[in-house]
Amino acid sequence: MSPRETTVVSSRRRPSLSLRPRPRTAVHSVVLPKNYTFDQWQKASLVEACADDASAIEEMEPFPEAVPRRRAAKSFSSLRHPVDGLVALGRRLSVTLRSKTSKQNLRVPGDEHDDECHNYHHVTGHSSHKRSAASGSWGVRSRAWSHGPNPVSINRRPSLNSVSALHEFYAPTASIPAPIPGHGLEPPILPNDMYAGAAARAAAAAQNELMELARLEMAKPERYLLKSSEMGLTKDSESGIGIDLRDRSDLSDAELDLIRTDPVSYLPAEIMAHVLSHLDPASLLQSELVSRSWYRQASSQHVWKHAFRGAHPCRPASATATKKKQSAGLGKNIPNQDWKRMYFVRRALEHRWKEGKAAAIYLHGHQDSVYCAQFDENKIITGSRDRTIRVWDAHYPWSCLKIIGPPPGDVAIAGPVNNPAQQATGKSPFATICPPSTPTAGIVTPMAQTADYHSASILCLRFDEEIMVTGSSDYTCIVWDIKNDYRPIHRLAAHRAGVLDVCFDDRYIVSCSKDSTICVWDRKTGALLKQLTGHRGPVNAVQLRGDLVVSASGDGVAKLWNVIDGHCVKEFPSKDRGLACIEFSDDGRTILTGGNDRTIYQFDANTGELVNELRGHTGLIRSLHLDSMNKRIVSGSYDMSVKVFDTESGELSIDLPGWTTSWMLNVQSDYRRILATSQDSRAVIMDFGYGLDGIELLEE
Amino acid sequence: MSTQITLTSSDGVDVSVDRAVAERSVLIKNMLEDLGDSGEAIPIPNVSNRPFPCLGCVYYVRTSSPPSKSNGDDDDNRRKTTDIDEWDQKFMQVDQEMLFEIILAANYLDIKALLDVGCKTVANMIKGKSPEEIRKTFNIQNDFTPEEEDQIRRENEWAEE
Repeated sequence: MSPRETTVVSSRRRPSLSLRPRPRTAVHSVVLPKNYTFDQWQKASLVEACADDASAIEEMEPFPEAVPRRRAAKSFSSLRHPVDGLVALGRRLSVTLRSKTSKQNLRVPGDEHDDECHNYHHVTGHSSHKRSAASGSWGVRSRAWSHGPNPVSINRRPSLNSVSALHEFYAPTASIPAPIPGHGLEPPILPNDMYAGAAARAAAAAQNELMELARLEMAKPERYLLKSSEMGLTKDSESGIGIDLRDRSDLSDAELDLIRTDPVSYLPAEIMAHVLSHLDPASLLQSELVSRSWYRQASSQHVWKHAFRGAHPCRPASATATKKKQSAGLGKNIPNQDWKRMYFVRRALEHRWKEGKAAAIYLHGHQDSVYCAQFDENKIITGSRDRTIRVWDAHYPWSCLKIIGPPPGDVAIAGPVNNPAQQATGKSPFATICPPSTPTAGIVTPMAQTADYHSASILCLRFDEEIMVTGSSDYTCIVWDIKNDYRPIHRLAAHRAGVLDVCFDDRYIVSCSKDSTICVWDRKTGALLKQLTGHRGPVNAVQLRGDLVVSASGDGVAKLWNVIDGHCVKEFPSKDRGLACIEFSDDGRTILTGGNDRTIYQFDANTGELVNELRGHTGLIRSLHLDSMNKRIVSGSYDMSVKVFDTESGELSIDLPGWTTSWMLNVQSDYRRILATSQDSRAVIMDFGYGLDGIELLEE
Repeated sequence: MSTQITLTSSDGVDVSVDRAVAERSVLIKNMLEDLGDSGEAIPIPNVSNRPFPCLGCVYYVRTSSPPSKSNGDDDDNRRKTTDIDEWDQKFMQVDQEMLFEIILAANYLDIKALLDVGCKTVANMIKGKSPEEIRKTFNIQNDFTPEEEDQIRRENEWAEE
């Protein structure tokens, strides 16, 4: 053990002697007292290198003389002198060695060492770094790392040469490139040995922050030279975590230390905006706090527009989407839009949905069950068993703007609007608003003949920007001209029973009826194009995507039809009982059905496979709405609750029971609200954005 | 259209590239159109006093995969991600100033793909970091007064109501 250690000393020294004389001499001239000449140093080393252990110690005889000199120039010579290192090494070598070589008393008073140590630390941060770096590999062997002075003295020599010290530190292979043959009785030194101290080096690094700083500084000139040898190192050095071996990507930070440049001041604003537009909102908020100039850049609306759009991507354009687009709550693309604020508002709104926190706004006016409804950002249209269609303002004060149908009488708000007992089991409204019902006198459009409106219940309705189509128990549909004050355009008559549901796109109007047929009409002319037959019960719901129609029947089967040839393409049976409602996703891939099984079935439209069953309702599921963008499935049921499911997990996310006093008949949702209509003659807006500051910014 | 053209940097380094490749720089494309097919070396305009960034851009254009991967105008989709493919990452492994120079050059030469990659690289240096970490990364002095900093923090705090 001990001979080997001696040899390690010599072998570690040898490279710096022979390979890198320049830095050493440079240091020599600066650091060493004059009387420690180059020759002396070399001689000592050479002796050390070739002698056996006993003689090596003996050759140190001149040392006692050196001690006083060292005292004289404590701060420097004691630090730097290589032979000093040997003295200390001798002290620290094993007991057996010391007892063998008792000729010489090499003990140096401990307090003196303390002084040295003290001085040492005062020299510079760099030298301190060098020391740790170079001595690292010795720490383990000497077991003296924690003893303070010892490592100092033993490693004085390597600290002579900062460059070589660093070199050893980074890439020991550079110092000991190959196994070194043994001298005399000594075993050969294997390169492995040079790694032995890696852990200690790591420890040293952790201990010494100064060193780390110095390293970064000093590493610069060396970095590129060292890279190749670093790369070549084996995994063996992994104990030197983050010090010896790092791949280039880890190093890049240290490299970039060279030139750290503020991109905001370096790059023109428009390019910096481009950079920042790649960031997520959270990173942008952090960026704003960096400095004033960063704040100006990172808080710009241009940047936030991208952040907002990134967080809330626009609906992918779908060729098959036929429903009138729900507002996605993405705001208007106008100059000076406050995108950052929109982001905050949107985040607050999402939070409300997560918490199930909504206000209830009751639309009161119909005199009987409200069977159907649809809304957009500005208006809500409802259809009722009272044979009227009402158009409501979607904003405060939610007044009724128009009544289409036979003149109704005014009704007072009577009775409770909700069921508190039921509400207690789920989310109840945080605010309840009952706007006074608008007097009917001014809002009824006088209709000359009964032919101009439905003579029975309004069972279904749909509208887009141009037309509205309603279906009624009077067996007919009426197409209304929205742009021309809801004047009737055609009446579609072919069904032999009530029209239960209707939908349309640019080409077709599709209606389904209790007579178990589906009719396809020409939107422009109102001509009957096709009749789809095959259902064995009333067809309760229908949807259209491109050339495909899906329908749900009370016979318990949902069917997928091709409009062009009128054939049924696929069937999606329920497990038990009749179906009441159906949703066809915008991309045409997913079909949802609901009905008397109290379960929402999710089918793959292509394979016909039942993908999922969403449970939670305790009554017939009467209405479904799929909001793919916000990943919500909203359902309304005869159990008097509205429930929201997550499209991805299929989990129930919000339960809204008892918001009305009777069956839920129709539900629809957008980014901020659910509109539900009830058999109790009211429609309720469940507004998650109610009272939210800035919510109007999200309107499209 | 696979004729070779020669580009010359301001310090006289010639690079020979496919014309189609060079035309990925809209600026060079326009220059080629203006100059016609004379067969003479085209000088690459320099945006900085260092010629490398421009040459680097040309090198990028020549060696990176064809524009198909980052072509198209689906900006919104692309902006969402700061993923950079490995090759580009390696290409961008330069010091900060050089990176910025390359971005400037790419912007000037109008090479959209490279500009994007450069900006994404900078964005990735910012992403997920605290303000202090960002300052450290780019050696930036915090010139906010504590009051100002507080003010911004409060503005950015998310209060539900």
